[in-house]
Amino acid sequence: MNLGDRVLTRRSLLRRGLAGLLAAPWMGWGAGSGGAGVLLSAGRASGVEPYQASEDEIVLGMSAAFSGPSRGLGSELYRGAKACFNHVNDGGGIGGRRIVLKLYDDGYQPDPCVRNTMKLMLEDRVFLLFGYVGTPTVTRVLPLLKKFQDERVYLFFPFTGAQPQREPPYGDFAFNLRASYRQETAGLVDNFVRAGRKRIAVFYQADAYGRSGWAGVRAALKKHGGQIVGEATYRRGQRFTGSMRRQVEILTAASPDAVICIGSYAACAGFARDAVDLGLRVPIANLSFVGSENLLKLLTEGRDDPEPYTQLLVNSQVVPSYEDTSIPAVREYRELMAHYDPQIPEELAKEPYTPFPQSFVSLEGFLDAKLMAEILRRLEGTPDRSGLEEAVFSVRDFDLGIGEEVSFGPARRQGLQRVYYTVVRDGRFVTLDDWQSWLS
Amino acid sequence: MRIQKLFQKTRFGIFALFGLIVLSTSALCIYTVDTQLSKEYETNCRNIAKSIADSSVDILLNRNLATLQSLIDQFVEIQGIRYIYITSEEGEYLAHTFVPGIPEEVLASDPSSTEPVQRSIPGMGDFMEVGSPILAGVGGTVHVGMDLDIIGLKIQRAIGQQVILISIFLVVGVLASIWLVNLAAKPLGSLLSYAVELSGGQEESQTSKEELLAREDEVGDLARLFRYVSGHSSSPEGEPDPTPESPR
Repeated sequence: MNLGDRVLTRRSLLRRGLAGLLAAPWMGWGAGSGGAGVLLSAGRASGVEPYQASEDEIVLGMSAAFSGPSRGLGSELYRGAKACFNHVNDGGGIGGRRIVLKLYDDGYQPDPCVRNTMKLMLEDRVFLLFGYVGTPTVTRVLPLLKKFQDERVYLFFPFTGAQPQREPPYGDFAFNLRASYRQETAGLVDNFVRAGRKRIAVFYQADAYGRSGWAGVRAALKKHGGQIVGEATYRRGQRFTGSMRRQVEILTAASPDAVICIGSYAACAGFARDAVDLGLRVPIANLSFVGSENLLKLLTEGRDDPEPYTQLLVNSQVVPSYEDTSIPAVREYRELMAHYDPQIPEELAKEPYTPFPQSFVSLEGFLDAKLMAEILRRLEGTPDRSGLEEAVFSVRDFDLGIGEEVSFGPARRQGLQRVYYTVVRDGRFVTLDDWQSWLS
Repeated sequence: MRIQKLFQKTRFGIFALFGLIVLSTSALCIYTVDTQLSKEYETNCRNIAKSIADSSVDILLNRNLATLQSLIDQFVEIQGIRYIYITSEEGEYLAHTFVPGIPEEVLASDPSSTEPVQRSIPGMGDFMEVGSPILAGVGGTVHVGMDLDIIGLKIQRAIGQQVILISIFLVVGVLASIWLVNLAAKPLGSLLSYAVELSGGQEESQTSKEELLAREDEVGDLARLFRYVSGHSSSPEGEPDPTPESPR
């Protein structure tokens, strides 16, 4: 009948509850006080029991996009991780226990991700959460981890560089491997400014991921005494076939020297396509989350001359190039990917997806899994969540095989710091070393 | 015919009375529903803006804009809310839900104003926007835009339901009045025919005569009176009393 009735539906109550959970840590809500207290009580009533380790396996829970326009991200991340875990399991597992990934599809949407997480924690009773994909999804899950903090359910190596899982009040519930969006955007801005391109515009996804990247660009430009000259947004779930002409027109009106995109591959490819078609000839940068191979595929597939659409692309990466076989971990990754060639389980492969033999995303998944296995090895005896944090903090100057040592500690919950930059040459992304000559 | 004309006036009176009731009730209903729902939406809008403003303080102080965006994304899913934006104390747009960009109409407005305003944004529609200060305004301002088209549609729907109910009463009332009027008009018509037959010295129909004379209401009294006056009834013995009763 009216808004008052509308907000009392079950769905909106759930949303309000989640909004409350999200805001609770900042609002001083605690158990037994106010709305969050009610939710906490509800959680206890749902029957959370201490984790019981299985004799023959360690189950890790993963909620990621296996459907929708961003399904390539979840699929590739899973494939890389699976190749590594298969190798570990074939070698006897961790203390005789196989590492098993329990998968759920969230389609890169927050509400399904929250439901999946509840299921993983309360029904499947997984040991830990691993390899979640996306900022809007992870941002909504973090309050759940805080809610069940007594259970010590940690989120390991989410595929997002956003700040919420790196900072209070949720930083204690997640461990990150990859560099942050703040580091990626700062690197892009620094390089653009050094090359004399100071008028930087932002094209971003209208959600927490886009805002995280936007905030990174804003902060980086502030250090150079500048500000974002123009911004345009799109809705999450945008497909490549959708038009981005209005967004291009908005940014063209700001006369930028470069555009930094914070989005998924379908939307960013659509933007790059329309930018070229409408004559916006400036470098277009994308963050690591974009999924470079899928972006490139969309921009080049079916075109006689794809070069105009790719020659001004520059993508930041948080792992080295999978083409660089001088790197030991890359060699291992390529070998295991070729050997196992992991496929998406049938029940999750609802939409057609052709995987790439190698990709930046699957390499990241591989490295995530490699470090995860190392941490599990450091758990002595029966896997117990209470020893997890200590096992992570014992990782000091660990050689992951990519030339950058990994360290964790109470004040250091992100393993890698380095950002790489890649451009398209001969139909593939290659490492960019000289920005000046590329931009000249 | 004369009798129908007589009852046409009655019918007209009934129609007019019902019509007046329907129109006045509908007008009052429209005014009440429109006013109450508009106030309710504005109050809800204000409460949502205040709720976001209250929960944004520490998020803003932590400079956690991704969490702030996540927070407003959840509120914008509530039906009726079309946009939310948060401005800093300097007027910078820190988080918003606009796609493909912040409209010129919003950019041109005072970012620190919390007074309710109605906006018409090309391509988006008409909105009622209210604001709520964060930390008494030193932390910025939350602005919530409610879709007036959706509100208008809901108000129309609520009014429509009321008017439909009243209209049903009108139709039922009118039909009932027609039936009741006909109930009175039919014996009067028979009485008229009977009187005409008596005055013409015609042989009256036995069935209709018996029906009329047997009635115990005013029509029966009049029929018996007509019969007595016309001389068809010299002896009332064995027949109904020809003398009309005193008015009932």
